[in-house]
Amino acid sequence: MGVSRNVSELLEAVWTLQERGDATLADVGRIAHTEVTEELLTEVKNEGLVDVDTAGHLRLTAHGRAVTAPIIRRHRLAERLMCDVLGMDVEQTEAAACEFEHIIAEGITSAICTLLGHPRFCPHERPIPEGACCRQAREQVNAIVVSCDRLRLGERGRIAYVSTPDHPRLLKLAALGVTPGVEVKLLQKWPSYVLQCDETEIALEEEIARHIYVWRTPDDEEGSSDEAAPFDDDGGPSAR
Amino acid sequence: MGEGARRKKLLLVGHPNVGKSVIFRRLTGRYVVVSNYPGTTVEISRGEMRLGGTTYEVIDTPGINSLTPQSEDERVTCELLLRENPDVIVQVADAKNVRRALSLMMQLADLSIPVVLVLNMVDEMRARGIEVDARAIAELFHIPVVETVATYGHGIRQLVQAIPRAAIPQKPRPNGRCVTLIERALSGTESVPLELAVEWMEGGDPTFRHEIERLIGPRRVRQLQSAIEEHCRLCPRSLCREIEQQRSAFVNETVAAIKRTNHAPRTERITPMGFRIWTVLLMFGVGVFLWGELGAGIGIPTPYGAARRWILQHLAQPVRDFFFSHHGGLIYELLFGGPGASAYGLVMEGVHLLFLVAPVVIPLAVLMHRSRRFTEKLGELTRAPITGIPILLVVLLLVYEFVGVTGAQTLVGLLEEIVFGRYLVAGLREFIPPGFVHQLLVGPYGLISMGLTYALAIILPVVGTFFIAFGLLEDSGYLPRLAILSDRLLRRMGLNGKAILPMVLGLGCDTMATLTTRILESPKERLIATLLLALGIPCSAQLGVILGLTAGISAGATLVVVLVVVSQLILVGSLAARLLPGRRGDFILEIPPVRVPVLRNVALKTWYRMKWFLGEVVPLFLYATLALFMLDQIQVAGRSGIEWIEVGFQPIVVGLLHLPMEAAQAFVMGFLRRDYGAAGLYALAHRGLLSPQQVVVSLVVITLFVPCLANFLVIVKEQGWRRAVMIVGFIVPFALLVGGALSWVLRTWHLLA
Repeated sequence: MGVSRNVSELLEAVWTLQERGDATLADVGRIAHTEVTEELLTEVKNEGLVDVDTAGHLRLTAHGRAVTAPIIRRHRLAERLMCDVLGMDVEQTEAAACEFEHIIAEGITSAICTLLGHPRFCPHERPIPEGACCRQAREQVNAIVVSCDRLRLGERGRIAYVSTPDHPRLLKLAALGVTPGVEVKLLQKWPSYVLQCDETEIALEEEIARHIYVWRTPDDEEGSSDEAAPFDDDGGPSAR
Repeated sequence: MGEGARRKKLLLVGHPNVGKSVIFRRLTGRYVVVSNYPGTTVEISRGEMRLGGTTYEVIDTPGINSLTPQSEDERVTCELLLRENPDVIVQVADAKNVRRALSLMMQLADLSIPVVLVLNMVDEMRARGIEVDARAIAELFHIPVVETVATYGHGIRQLVQAIPRAAIPQKPRPNGRCVTLIERALSGTESVPLELAVEWMEGGDPTFRHEIERLIGPRRVRQLQSAIEEHCRLCPRSLCREIEQQRSAFVNETVAAIKRTNHAPRTERITPMGFRIWTVLLMFGVGVFLWGELGAGIGIPTPYGAARRWILQHLAQPVRDFFFSHHGGLIYELLFGGPGASAYGLVMEGVHLLFLVAPVVIPLAVLMHRSRRFTEKLGELTRAPITGIPILLVVLLLVYEFVGVTGAQTLVGLLEEIVFGRYLVAGLREFIPPGFVHQLLVGPYGLISMGLTYALAIILPVVGTFFIAFGLLEDSGYLPRLAILSDRLLRRMGLNGKAILPMVLGLGCDTMATLTTRILESPKERLIATLLLALGIPCSAQLGVILGLTAGISAGATLVVVLVVVSQLILVGSLAARLLPGRRGDFILEIPPVRVPVLRNVALKTWYRMKWFLGEVVPLFLYATLALFMLDQIQVAGRSGIEWIEVGFQPIVVGLLHLPMEAAQAFVMGFLRRDYGAAGLYALAHRGLLSPQQVVVSLVVITLFVPCLANFLVIVKEQGWRRAVMIVGFIVPFALLVGGALSWVLRTWHLLA
C-alpha cells in the first residue's frame, strides 16, 4: 500500500488506541512515532482513511482499517520474532519493530508468521491481525514455535509464551508452573489435553492448549532414557 | 490457658493437594474445630498445638495457587493472611514442584510475616530422581526449610522445632525493571517490596484496599494508584504483568540453581519375577471379579456362588445347632444372617469380600505398594479413555460391591432387621408399657423404632462404607483422572471436568457435595452443579435403598430408571448451560500422581466425615420422626394429619403417578431427608404394595424429587433464598411430570408389567 511513513505511523497509533477504547487527538499525538501536524490530519481525512468528529475523536474508516491491518501485523510479528526467537527484551524490540514494519515485504511477513507458528497475540497481548498464511497454512508442521495442540503425542517442547488476553487464565496457568522457559511434554490429546510440565501433570481443555506456544525440542535429546531404566533387583533405597 | 502461657497464631498455607491437612492433623492432634469462614461456605479447620510455653492456634487454609485470588477459596486464604494477624506462616510445598512454591513464597514475602517452608512429599521427589537443595533455599530467603513426608509423619518433629525459628523471608532483589518502575513511581519514599500491593490493586479488587492501606500506608496506596494509572497509559502491558514476568524469570533462574534431576535408576521394591506373578494374579482377580458379576446376572455358576452354597450347607447348620442350644441366637444371626434371604451375616460377607473384591484389591495393593513402574503405568492407563473407561467400570462395580452390597445389604440387614428390628426394638416394645411413651419411642413413628433405626441402621452403614471408598479413591489420586474422562460430557452441560468431584461426592451426600461446588470457578457453574445435584444425583443412603428396591425388579427395569434419570440430567444440564447467563470456567486441573493410599489417613478422614454426618443427620432424623409422630397423633375430622397429607397428595400420587396412596407419605418425608423418603418406599415395596411398574416410577420420582431439607438449607446458604426456591420450584413439578409421563408410557404399552 502506498502510504507514506508518517501516515502509517498515525494510522498505527489510531488503531492501537481504538483497541483500548477511544482515540483522542491528544493521545494520538502522544503515542504516534511521528509529529501529528494539521497537514497530516488533513491528508488522512482526504484519503478517506480516518474520520475525525467534533469532539476530537479519531476513527479509522473501513478503508483505513484495511490499510492499517498489514502494518500492525508486521509490527507485532516483528516483536514476536525478536522476543521469541532472538530472545530480546520486550521493550528493546519496540524501536526495531517500528523500523521493521516499514521494510518487510508481504512474502517475508508470511514466512515469519509461519516460522512463529501463526501467533495470535503480540508480546503485549494485543491481537495480531490474521494474514492469508494463517488461514491457509494451519496445517503447516515445520514451524519452530507451535501451539501445544500441534505437538505430537509424547513430543517435548519448551514453553515460548502463553498467549491469552485472559489474565485470570494466565495466572492459573502460571500458578501451576506453565510459564515461559519450562519444559513440557504432551501426554494426551483426548478427551482433554494432558501436559507434563516439570513434575506436574496438568489437564487442559483444547482451547487453552492452543494458547500455549512452545519451541519444539528435538526428539533425540530425551525420550527413551526414562523408559529403558533397568530394574533394580529388589532393595536399593526404597520409595519411602 | 495457664498464666504466662502465650498464644500465637500459625497459618498453614500452600497450593492445593500438597498435604496441608495431613500436616495440620499431625501438628494439632485432637482439638479441631471445623467452621465456615464468615459469609462463605469455605470451611476452615482450627486446632491447637503446644510448643514450650506457647500455645499455637493452628489454622488450615484452603489451597491457593497464588495470592492474587481467583476463586472463593483463594480469597478466603488471602483474607485470613491479612486479617488474622498470624505470627507464623508455615508454607507447605510439594517438594517436586519447588518452582510453584517459590513463586508463592515471593508473594508471601511481601507480607512481612515469619515463614517456615515445608518441602513435603520428598519421597516422591527422590523417587523421581530429583534433588532440591533445601539449604540453598534457606540461605536465599533466610528462612528455615524442612523436608517432610507428612503421610508417614517423617520430618514433623523437625518442623515443630523449626517453628520458633520462623523468619521473615528476605526477598532477593532481582533488580529488575518493574521494581525500578514502582520505585520511580514512588519517588522519594524508601523502597519497600510492593509488588503484592500492586497486584492486588490492579486486580481491581476493592476488598483488600483497607488491608493494603494498613500494610503500606494510605499515602503510598495513593501514590501506587497513580503510578499504576500512569503506567497503564504509557506502557502497553500492565504493571502486574511486568511483575509477574520478572518473578517468573527469577524463579526459573533460582530453580535452575537449586534443583537437579539425575535420571537415577528407578528403585523397584519387587523382583521382575514378582512383578510378573502379581500382574498375572491381578488379571486373574479382575477375571474372577467380572465372572462373579456377570455370572450372577445371567445365571452361570460362579466361584462366589459356589462358596456361598457350600458354607450354607456344610457350616451353617452345625453352627446354628450349637448356638441355638446355647442361647446364642443373636450371634448366629450376626454370623450367618437372619431367616430372611436379604440378610447376609458376617461370615457370608467375609466370603463375599474374599471371593469378589479381594482377588482384585490384594494384587493391586501389592503392586502399587512395591512397584513404581506399575503405579506410573496405572496413572497413564486410568486417564486415557480406551483403558480408562473399562477401568472406571471395574472401579464402579467394586465400589458398588463394597457400598451397595457390603454396606447397604449386609450391614443394613444386620443392623436394621436383626439388631434393631428383632432384638432392640422388639425388646423395648415388650419392656415399655403401652401408652404415650410407648408410642413416642417404639410406635410406628417412634423415635427409636423409626428415627434411630433409619439413621443408625440404614443410613450410617451406607454412608460409612461410601466414605471409606471415597477416601481410598481420593487419596489414590484417581478422582482427577475421572475429571479428564468426563470433561467433554460435562462441558456440554455448562460445566467442566472439575465438576465431576462434587458429582461423585454427591453419590455420598448431596448436602456435602453442594458445599464443595465452591471449587468451581464461575457462579454459573456453581448454580448448574447445585441444580443437578439436587435434581438427579442420588446420595448413598438413597442409593442404598434404590439398589435394594431394584433388587426386586428386573435388570431391564433398573436400566430404565438409570436411563431416565441420566437423560434428564443431561437434558436439564444442557438447557441450563444455554439459558443461564455467564460463562463456564476454564478446565485447568492438576493431575496428581497415582499414590498408595495410607490406610491410617483414610481411616482418619472417614472418621471425621462420619462424625460430621452423625452430628448433622441424627438430630434431623429425630426431628423428622417427631414431626411425623405429631402429625400422626393429631386427629382432625376423623383422620390423622398424615392421612390428610396423603389425601392432599392423592390426586398427584394416585391420579398422575398411579402409585398407592401411602407413597404420598414417602414423598412428603422425602423432603425432610431424601433417603428417608426412599426408605419409606422401600418399606412399601417390602410389604408387596408396589408393582414393578410402580417401583420404577416411584424410583424415578424420588430420585428427581426435591433435595432433602439439609440440602435445601445448604442451597439457600450457597445461592440465596430466591434461587433456592426457584430450584425447588422447578424440580418438584419437573419430577412429577417426568414420573407422570413415564407412568403413562409404561401403562399404555404395558412395559415392565
